[in-house]
Amino acid sequence: MGIPAERIDRLQDLAREATAEGDIDRAREYVRLARRIGERHRISLQRRFRRFSCDDCDAYLRPGATARVRLRSGHVAIRCLACGATARYPYEG
Amino acid sequence: MALTPETLTRHELNGLRVAVADAPNPDLVGVAGRVVGETMRTLRVAAGGDSASGDGPDASETESRVKQVPKRDSTFEFELPSKGDAPECTDEAADAAKASGTASKRRSETAGRFEAGQSGRCQGVAYVTVDGARLLSRPALRTEKTGDSLWR
Ligand SMILES: [Zn+2]
Repeated sequence: MGIPAERIDRLQDLAREATAEGDIDRAREYVRLARRIGERHRISLQRRFRRFSCDDCDAYLRPGATARVRLRSGHVAIRCLACGATARYPYEG
Repeated sequence: MALTPETLTRHELNGLRVAVADAPNPDLVGVAGRVVGETMRTLRVAAGGDSASGDGPDASETESRVKQVPKRDSTFEFELPSKGDAPECTDEAADAAKASGTASKRRSETAGRFEAGQSGRCQGVAYVTVDGARLLSRPALRTEKTGDSLWR
């Protein structure tokens, strides 16, 4: 794993911690920085990071704290409690 | 490419413990804490009472103040987290052994501008002293260029 991937990994942990401490804006900074690093180095973020960060407002999503996760028919709906945006991810079966 | 003294300037600084060893502003000298933010020319350091206890519930309880320290003309002392003592040492040795291709770069780095105080590397934590001018870069771009560009 190269330096960029490691940085992204560390930023994910930091974003999670910051959110746990209630500092959503600091977590946003970390998420934005991680995305920017991924962009510059043509690395896609891990699926877990992609799904648990808000596409609209960049908040890191912790179910129960900053996100609401619901199973709908055919998809998972993750709503960001910071801005209200909903992301839907299909599942099989 | 773990976080080593050599890769520190290209690696993520957020979350590391840092002490400001020297700064033009005397009020900022001695500020110590975690890095919580980085901009092109500054580091934000959460200087609080959480010196040794790490982050956690007491960090917010002691109301840490965030200091914004300019990188230029400052000297920082970073504390490298090490995961276990023995693996750290072997990693270092392996890196040095296989890094024949990058040996010249590495040598110039260590000899030239990188004043790394590598005291006590293999017991517990390592401290690395970095000239702030080496960190002058946008946070996202530091990994690409500034780490070992020779003309900067
Ligand atoms: Zn959102």
